[in-house]
Amino acid sequence: MENNKEKRKLGKWSRRAFIGAGGLVGVGLVVGVGGYVYIGKAIKKYSGRDMGDGHSLNAWIRISPDNKITLAVARAEMGQGVTTSVAQLIAEELEVNWEDITVMHPQPESPYSNTFLSTNRRSNPFVGYDMMDKILAFLPLIATGGSTTIIDAWDSMRYAGATAREMLISAASAQWGIDRSKCKAENGYVINMDTNEKLSYGALSESAAQYKSDKLPKLKSRSEFKVVGKPIRRNDIPAKVNGTAKFGLDIKTKGMLYAAVKHANKTGYAITSINNETKILKMPGVKKVVLTQYGKALVIADNSWRAMNASKALSVTEENDGSDPITSAYLEQELNRIVNEEPIATKLDIGDVGDTISNLSDEEKLIEATYTAPYLAHACLEPMNATVIIKDGKVESWIGHQASSVAHTILAESTGIDKENITINITFLGGGFGRRSEPDFVRLAGAAAKAMPGVMIQTIFSREEDTRNDMYRPGAVCKLKGIIDKDGNAKSLSANLAIQSVEQNALKRIMPAMAPSPKAAKITLEGIDNQPYSIPNHRASFGDLQVPIQVGFWRSVSHSQNGFFNESFIDEMAHTANKDPLLFRLSMVQGKPRYTNVLNKLAQISNWRTKSDPNVFRGIAMLFSYSSIVAEVAEIRKVGDKEFKIENYYCVIDCGNIVNPDTIKAQMESGIIFGLTAALYGEITWKDGSIVQSNFHDYPMLKLKTTPKIHVEIMDVDELPGGVGEPATPPAAPALTNAIYMATGERIRSLPLSKLGYSFV
Amino acid sequence: MKISAMQLNINGKTVNIEAEDNMPLLWVLRDILHMTGTKYGCGIAQCGACSVIVDGTVMRSCSLPVGAIEKSMQIETIESLDANGQLSAVQEAWIEHQVPQCGYCQSGMIMAATQLLKDNATPSDEDIDRAMINICRCGTYNRVRAAIHTAAKNINQINLTEASK
Ligand code: FES
Ligand code: FES
Repeated sequence: MENNKEKRKLGKWSRRAFIGAGGLVGVGLVVGVGGYVYIGKAIKKYSGRDMGDGHSLNAWIRISPDNKITLAVARAEMGQGVTTSVAQLIAEELEVNWEDITVMHPQPESPYSNTFLSTNRRSNPFVGYDMMDKILAFLPLIATGGSTTIIDAWDSMRYAGATAREMLISAASAQWGIDRSKCKAENGYVINMDTNEKLSYGALSESAAQYKSDKLPKLKSRSEFKVVGKPIRRNDIPAKVNGTAKFGLDIKTKGMLYAAVKHANKTGYAITSINNETKILKMPGVKKVVLTQYGKALVIADNSWRAMNASKALSVTEENDGSDPITSAYLEQELNRIVNEEPIATKLDIGDVGDTISNLSDEEKLIEATYTAPYLAHACLEPMNATVIIKDGKVESWIGHQASSVAHTILAESTGIDKENITINITFLGGGFGRRSEPDFVRLAGAAAKAMPGVMIQTIFSREEDTRNDMYRPGAVCKLKGIIDKDGNAKSLSANLAIQSVEQNALKRIMPAMAPSPKAAKITLEGIDNQPYSIPNHRASFGDLQVPIQVGFWRSVSHSQNGFFNESFIDEMAHTANKDPLLFRLSMVQGKPRYTNVLNKLAQISNWRTKSDPNVFRGIAMLFSYSSIVAEVAEIRKVGDKEFKIENYYCVIDCGNIVNPDTIKAQMESGIIFGLTAALYGEITWKDGSIVQSNFHDYPMLKLKTTPKIHVEIMDVDELPGGVGEPATPPAAPALTNAIYMATGERIRSLPLSKLGYSFV
Repeated sequence: MKISAMQLNINGKTVNIEAEDNMPLLWVLRDILHMTGTKYGCGIAQCGACSVIVDGTVMRSCSLPVGAIEKSMQIETIESLDANGQLSAVQEAWIEHQVPQCGYCQSGMIMAATQLLKDNATPSDEDIDRAMINICRCGTYNRVRAAIHTAAKNINQINLTEASK
């Protein structure tokens, strides 16, 4: 038995190894990696569960006899509209009526892996993968993050649609006994072009499922698109206007219980004992108090309110490794110490920055500045939660998670039940922003269910627990030096950053095998080392802070603070050079038409060159991130001393080919507001080891009244698509602070602005 | 806190519950009645995700003890808006402008907008600024504003048509 199982496993791996070695390189052969392996056939390697009646043509497409099309989209819907945009890609090639499509979220199974996220290589089967890429591509990483969904899906999901269509055509041509070339697919039917007879996909799906498509069909060209590139209305929105959309917290059943989580009060501490269990057990509705092996306590009660009240009344003892409790003063001191020491890694080194500084001529200007950024919380509007029941040796779970494969692994660990016996139902996510890629709340939900088998338990964080037990955007200090030559050009730029390593810290939790050392981390300097500016002497390096604060992926990750540092300093350089900040940037992207076009378009839509009102000021910032270019102009009105009305944001994005212009526009609006919220108010601080902020009164959000009008222009560029969920966030803060400089002459080198005495009406 | 039997009027129906007097209406709706359209965001009257309408006033149900609600008071939740199978003008406008992103704040936003338009058939931008103080972490604010203007226009249109009949 055991042996057989082992053999099966081996069989799988040897087949994979064959595919891996079977060479994509050079031969245009249609053996793919990751999801591609699964495209051309109705495969047995996925469950197809909950995809309804009918027959599967591959892991993504099932067609029922009455011509209903069910598509599997294994990406988390957290506001970006992926259940629509990915479906658009499939539908484009499948040739079906948009109205006939239903989208579901499948189990975390191999075909649905996000190959681009794991390999950082576009999953184009004609691009050669090296061995490491192939191995990575087979890790089932079913995850939504890093603005990768469309990049990953662009080719693969169109091929999924196209191969299914070809299988349907094969079935029809066999049935009619005519050549395939006499058949065409349209609106869910295959049409016999000789006789105009029609066979519905539903009628063909059973026989079509027997076919195997052994070569990838040709995809449509852009000019032939009917669905892709159109502002199709989102399929998740109807349920979101009448309260029926089910988020994690909305999973309800009779007799279920609620486990309120209580973390240690101090960051980096674990709860080691509960001191008033008897008293807590006497509180109304309380069923059980659990001290988990993870150093967190759970109070299980019959409703959320009672559970949260009781967990607040817990008296606990908490301990750490003996190090001093964290304070913001300590973090500041350490970051400032590290930024002045030798960096641990230099990721960009062009020309000779050191030489330009030591041989500075009289005609050149050297400027130096130190920037800081605070720690930030995600503050998803739906606090962390997960619902789990263990029954008859099986686990069923309902989780709003960005990475179903991670949730799967973690639940297996914390419940002690095999993955095969675990079902993961991904609900809508009430905000993700990177926070919901973390395992913590899933692990605790597993522990809660294990404590009371047979009962469905919803494990919940109160808002306060959520704010104080986040995986934060790390605070950072960055020292920049720049030289402007005698002609007013940027001759030299160097940046040294001090920061905790998000990549190490977060991956240790999410995928421990993949966690790099801080030195080897690739993303720490993003926003500085991956920008388009041509500067002859250019260096970027960083040092590493190790403290027991959990830091994590926060919308746009390193770009979020580095973009503020770099784009503010570029602005400083422009002003030192006496150049217009937009023209200064333009001069550094010569020969890069996508950037020059973005800047020129932005100048046009923001009326950059005309200034009419003496109280209105503008600032600009541009960043490359997640394979997209976004440039923004903030337009602000001075209404008092240090008081402004942010009137307009102008935003231009080049994200290559467009799948759904309206969701791209929405993500630009959303990303800007996310960046603005942080710039205006965002700061997490520590006092005596505990986080000071707890809820929206002291961790405020931008509201409707203060939100500027946002004008978005999407460039029409026939290039592979880039991401859109994150790239609008990084330029938002520097565009604003660069505008404030124009208005006040004060250079903003730290955030949030509220702390510097600025207010916004 | 003592547990009492209470009668509430929710979306035009009389509902019997048993709860502590100080249990917030939010949790009565969500955990006792399993009416999950009304959301928990902060629990301290900051975010508006839990907004319901009580006798024509937008209330934060997370901070409204159920014991303070008289049985004559009319509670309206998001579930009431399309109860007859027909979306309200506000909901229609929300779809037209593709307002929601993650959607979590939207029940509260829609309830606030619904009451605003009942109180003020033609709200100005300043009126909207004042009434719509809910938090949307996804930043759907500009679309919320646009959708309210559209809904106002459509409601007034309907009223005009009906008046002329
Ligand atoms: S949950 Fe009631 S206002 Fe936030
Ligand atoms: S739509 Fe996500 S919080 Fe508003």
